[in-house]
Amino acid sequence: VRLWRCRCRALLSRPAGAVRARRGLAAGPEMHFGFQSVTEEERREKIYQVFENVAKKYDVMNDSMTLGIHRVWKDILMHKMNPCPGTLLLDVAGGTGDIAFRFINYVRSVRQRQLQRKLKHHQDLSWQEIFESYQKDKFNSLGDSQVVVCDINREMLKVGKQKAQHLGYSEGLSWVLGNAEELPFDDDKFDVYTIAFGIRNVTRIDLALQEAYRVLKPGGRFLCLEFSHVSNPLLSRLYDLYSFQVIPVLGEVIAGDWRSYQYLVESIRQFPPQEELKAMIEDAGFFKVDYENLNFGIVAIHSGFKL
Amino acid sequence: VRCQHYPPVRALQASAALRRATDEHKEPLTSSSQQHFGSPPADHQPEQERHGPSYTGQGGQESEDYESEEQLQHRILTAALEFVPEHGWTAEAIAEGAKTLGLSVAAAGMFHSDGSELVLHFVSECNTKLSKLLEKEQKLVQLGEAEKKPIDEFLRDAVEARLRMLIPYIEKWPQALSVLLLPRNIPSSLSLLTSMIDDIWHYAGDQSTDFSWYTRRAVLSGIYNTTELVMMQDSSPGFEDTWRFLGNRVADAMAMSNTASQVQSTGEAVVQGLMGAAVTVSNAETCRAVR
Repeated sequence: VRLWRCRCRALLSRPAGAVRARRGLAAGPEMHFGFQSVTEEERREKIYQVFENVAKKYDVMNDSMTLGIHRVWKDILMHKMNPCPGTLLLDVAGGTGDIAFRFINYVRSVRQRQLQRKLKHHQDLSWQEIFESYQKDKFNSLGDSQVVVCDINREMLKVGKQKAQHLGYSEGLSWVLGNAEELPFDDDKFDVYTIAFGIRNVTRIDLALQEAYRVLKPGGRFLCLEFSHVSNPLLSRLYDLYSFQVIPVLGEVIAGDWRSYQYLVESIRQFPPQEELKAMIEDAGFFKVDYENLNFGIVAIHSGFKL
Repeated sequence: VRCQHYPPVRALQASAALRRATDEHKEPLTSSSQQHFGSPPADHQPEQERHGPSYTGQGGQESEDYESEEQLQHRILTAALEFVPEHGWTAEAIAEGAKTLGLSVAAAGMFHSDGSELVLHFVSECNTKLSKLLEKEQKLVQLGEAEKKPIDEFLRDAVEARLRMLIPYIEKWPQALSVLLLPRNIPSSLSLLTSMIDDIWHYAGDQSTDFSWYTRRAVLSGIYNTTELVMMQDSSPGFEDTWRFLGNRVADAMAMSNTASQVQSTGEAVVQGLMGAAVTVSNAETCRAVR
C-alpha cells in the first residue's frame, strides 16, 4: 500500500517544478528525495542519514541487488578509462573504495607489463646498469599513480579504510572527506575524475560538474557511472517490477532498513536520462561528451574531456 | 607580446591556454619538429577569429569547436609519433604525446585503445608528403629545370620515396600493418592506399579513361604492397635489397604491358593471315570450279 501511495504521488507531481528539480537545479526550496518533495537542506540531511545507515552493509546489498553484476560494470568503467601508470585519479563519492581498488590493480598490472618490456630491451646493458634500473623500478610498482577517494560521508569512508586494510591496499591511496559540490582541492590537479553511483545523490549536479571541470587538468577526463533510463518498454516493465517489489524487501531482510532502499530505487527514477545528463556535462564545459549504455540502459557511462 | 584575447564563447579554453604558454617558450623548437612531420602546429590565431555566436545543438557542438577538436587530436597524434619507436603503435604512445603538449595522459582516452587512429594518421601524413614531393617535381619539369623521367623510373622513385618514410618506424611497422588490417580499419586503410596510388599515377601523367585505368592501379598496388613486405624483413645496408626488388617488379610490369600489346598485335596478324588463307583457298576453289 505504501508503495502504491509513493508511485501515485510521483504521477501527480510531474509538473514543471518536479522537472526542474529532476535536473538537480535549486528551483526554489522544493527538491526531490526519491518521490518525496523536500527542501535542499533536508535533502542533504536525509541522504547523509541514508548512507550512514547502509554503510556497513553497502557492499553486501550491492551484490544482492544487482546479483553481482555491479562488479562487471565497475570493471568495464576501468577498461574504458584504460589508465597508464602515473595517472592521478580522483574518485568522488567513492565511499567503500571499489573503483579505487580496481584502479590500483589495473595500474599495477600495466606497470608489470611495462617493466617486463623494458627488461627485454635491456639485453645489452652491463650488470651494474641492470641492477640499478631494477632497484629503481622495484620500489615503484605503481609507477607514481595515485588515487584519492573523496566522500561526504564519514561512515562510508570508515568502511572503505577498513576494507583497504583488510585487502592489503596501502600504496597510492588516500581518503579525503569532502563535498562533491565544493571539492577541497586546487585547480588543474587530477588526470581522471570518476563518480560511480554517486552523482544521483548529489543535490546540485551542476555544481558538482563545475567542480569536476575545475579540478581536472587540461586534457583530463570525466567519467560518470550511474543508473540511467531503459528505453526498451518490455525490459523497463520488468526492471520496474524488480526495483519496486524486490529491492526494498531485500533491504529489509539483509540490512534491516527498507526505507533507504526505497529511496535508492526512487532516486534512480528521478535521475535525468542519458541525453539530459550529456547536455548538463556539456554545459559544464566538457568536450567530446559521450555515453555508453550497459545492459540496455540500466546503467550508463558518461565520458567527457576538459579540452 | 601576444594579444591575449579571451573569446566570450565556448572554446577549447584549456588547451588553447596551454598552447599560448608553450608557443611562447617553444618557438625555436617548432622548426625542428616540423621538418619531421611536415605539418605545422595548428595556428591558434585563426581559431580565435573564427568564433561566432555559439549554441549547443542537440548532441553536438558548433562547427568551429568541432574543427578545433579535430585539430587538437591531430596535434596529439603528431606529437605521439615521436614515441612510437619506444612504445609501439599503442595508447601509451598517444598518452606520451599528449604529455608533451602539456595535456593530461587521460587525453589518450579520446582515441581507441589499440592505436588505430595513430597508424591511420601517420599513413595519411605520409601520403600528403608524397603528394607534395611529386607536385614539386612536376613543377620543376614544367619550368624546364629537370627532365621528365621515363615512366618506369618515375614509378620506381615515387614508391621508393614513399617507402623511405617508413624507415624511422620500421621496427614497429609490422604491428602497424596488423592494425591496418583490422576489420574496423579496412575501409579507411584501403581508401588511403588507393588515393596514394591514384596520386602517383596522376603525376606520372596517366590520363587513361578505359579499362587500363583499373589495371594500372591494381598493378601498382601489387608492386607497392609486395615491396613493403620485402622491406619488413630486409636487413641489407640501406635497404638495397628492397630497392633492387622494387626495380625488378617495375621492370616486370613494364615488360608485361609490352608483351600484352605484342600479344594483341600478334593475334591480329594471325587472324589476318587466316583470313587471307581462307580467301586464297576459296579463290582457288572457284578457279578450279570455273576451269
